[in-house]
Amino acid sequence: MAPEHDGRAQPGGRDTPAGEPAPVFRPPRAPFLDVLGKLSQRRTVVLGVAGVIIFFAVWEVAHYATPAEKQRFLPSVEQVVTEIAYLFAEKNFIADVGTSLYRIYASFFAASLIAVPLGVFMGCFVKLRALISPTTGGWRYLPAASFAPLLLVWFGPTDFAKMALLFLGCFFFLVALILDNTLAVQRELIESGLTMGASRRQVVGITFRAAAPHILDSMRNMIAVAWTYLVIAEIIVATDGIGAVMMRAVRFLHVDIMMGGILVIGVLGVLTDISFRLASRALFPYLRVRR
Amino acid sequence: MAILGLGRKTVPARAGVDAPVPGTPPLRANRVTKSYLNGSVIALDDVSFDVHANQVTAMIGPSGCGKTTMLRLMAGLEYPSRGDVTMFGRPIPGPGPERGMVFQAYTSFPWLTTRANIEYGLKLQGLSRAERRARAEHFLELVHLEGFADAYPAELSGGMKQRVSIARTLAQNPALLLLDEPFGALDAQVTWEMEEMIVEIIERENKTVVVVTHDIQEAIYLADRIIFYTRQPGRIKADLPMAFKEGRRFQKKEEMLVHPGYVDMERQLYAMMREEIRGRVS
Ligand SMILES: Nc1ncnc2c1ncn2[C@@H]1O[C@H](COP(=O)(O)OP(=O)(O)O)[C@@H](O)[C@H]1O
Ligand SMILES: [Mg+2]
Repeated sequence: MAPEHDGRAQPGGRDTPAGEPAPVFRPPRAPFLDVLGKLSQRRTVVLGVAGVIIFFAVWEVAHYATPAEKQRFLPSVEQVVTEIAYLFAEKNFIADVGTSLYRIYASFFAASLIAVPLGVFMGCFVKLRALISPTTGGWRYLPAASFAPLLLVWFGPTDFAKMALLFLGCFFFLVALILDNTLAVQRELIESGLTMGASRRQVVGITFRAAAPHILDSMRNMIAVAWTYLVIAEIIVATDGIGAVMMRAVRFLHVDIMMGGILVIGVLGVLTDISFRLASRALFPYLRVRR
Repeated sequence: MAILGLGRKTVPARAGVDAPVPGTPPLRANRVTKSYLNGSVIALDDVSFDVHANQVTAMIGPSGCGKTTMLRLMAGLEYPSRGDVTMFGRPIPGPGPERGMVFQAYTSFPWLTTRANIEYGLKLQGLSRAERRARAEHFLELVHLEGFADAYPAELSGGMKQRVSIARTLAQNPALLLLDEPFGALDAQVTWEMEEMIVEIIERENKTVVVVTHDIQEAIYLADRIIFYTRQPGRIKADLPMAFKEGRRFQKKEEMLVHPGYVDMERQLYAMMREEIRGRVS
């Protein structure tokens, strides 16, 4: 029997007698592949960790599925991890890692230091764009790795030669990406600055501020590519650095060292990515809605 | 109001460094043609009219008839293909703070809070910190955003963002106000609130305003005179003074809605709009 109503609104609604809490709403069960799905932060982390575990599990299974006489070509996870620990403890691997990190960061930031202002100015001024863009754009199609022999002849087996290769590998892509980021700035944003009396210099400032979050994103994506050039440089001129350690391992078929090197680079890459994301949060707090 | 210096601190209307020519209107379109894409799109075709001082001129017409284009020419953001647009008799040299513009798109700077956005233009004008603060406070209140002074645009709804732009332009206190469908993105209730606010400010500070709108009721409410454009190419179809207002403006919108003169005007404009949408009846 429906409860009697006297026509007036009752606290708790029509179907729940006043005083009782409203019924709990149960949303329909979502499928695993849920379009526009939402995920709590905790479950996001859980899924991410699960992905990593699955990756290493597949590797481990592949190792044990390999015939015993060939297992040394695909060492197990624990063998690789032990090898990494041994390299750090006994072979002063930390020095090689340090060298590699120095090379990648120094050359990448040198490239950014020029590419960011250049890209922004090209985005702001059509004549600069017309003058420079075809040349820098064309450079992107010259494979940076093919400059390795040339750089070796010019500068010898020096740090400078390796870093020049890294610079060449990143710079022209950075310019193109940052130019795109700058051109993508909403036109009315700049025009509103002009109608408020902004000078040309201030307009460049507005454009840069507006493009900055996207520029940092471009840099984050580009530094991942820089690792490729680092390893190429260190393998071609194998004096020191992570790539050199891996290259020397070839002679003795030390597959665990090669895989260890790759793993270490992977971890460093992820850490770099995370620091860029943290920097983005710190630099551009206005992009996130506070609660 | 006096402490804020409103009305006195108006950025003087001027054309670059040239002195105004006596007896010339604030803005004049003289046989203006604007074409795009090497002449294949003619947005405006030989348009001439004067914007009178201390009047609100509304530009209305079907979508794509060149209203935004005319406003951008007046703002100095674009130049005519033929003819010229002058300000007090001088060709417009480019954009400037004496012609404040509110854009159709959201233009508040995402990296600045509401208050900092409003203060931005004032900073460019070299106002002192205290004066900037005071003015920002006043205009925050005017657009009902006191509670969101320290919020960033990402935290505001579309309508609130547009109110930031409006406050920012008004705070700059330009002699000429150029408004491009400023309330297009606001919901109905905020729209008429903002319309009444604009009327109040125009009334109090004797501004010269050019407003673009697609809303017939809004045009009649805001305008002292309506310029109606034909659909492509944009030409002036009619230049209608809002004679029924007898030189005064309505503080409350509903006061206008019941006025017989308003009803006639609205009917006339609807008829014109239908004519344009259907294509000209010859
Ligand atoms: N930058 C541009 N390039 C090419 N065509 C344009 C450009 N700006 C405007 N137009 C064209 O000019 C005409 C008038 O545009 P606009 O002034 O924006 O119309 P309204 O504001 O009245 O809707 C339209 O046909 C539009 O497509
Ligand atoms: Mg428009």
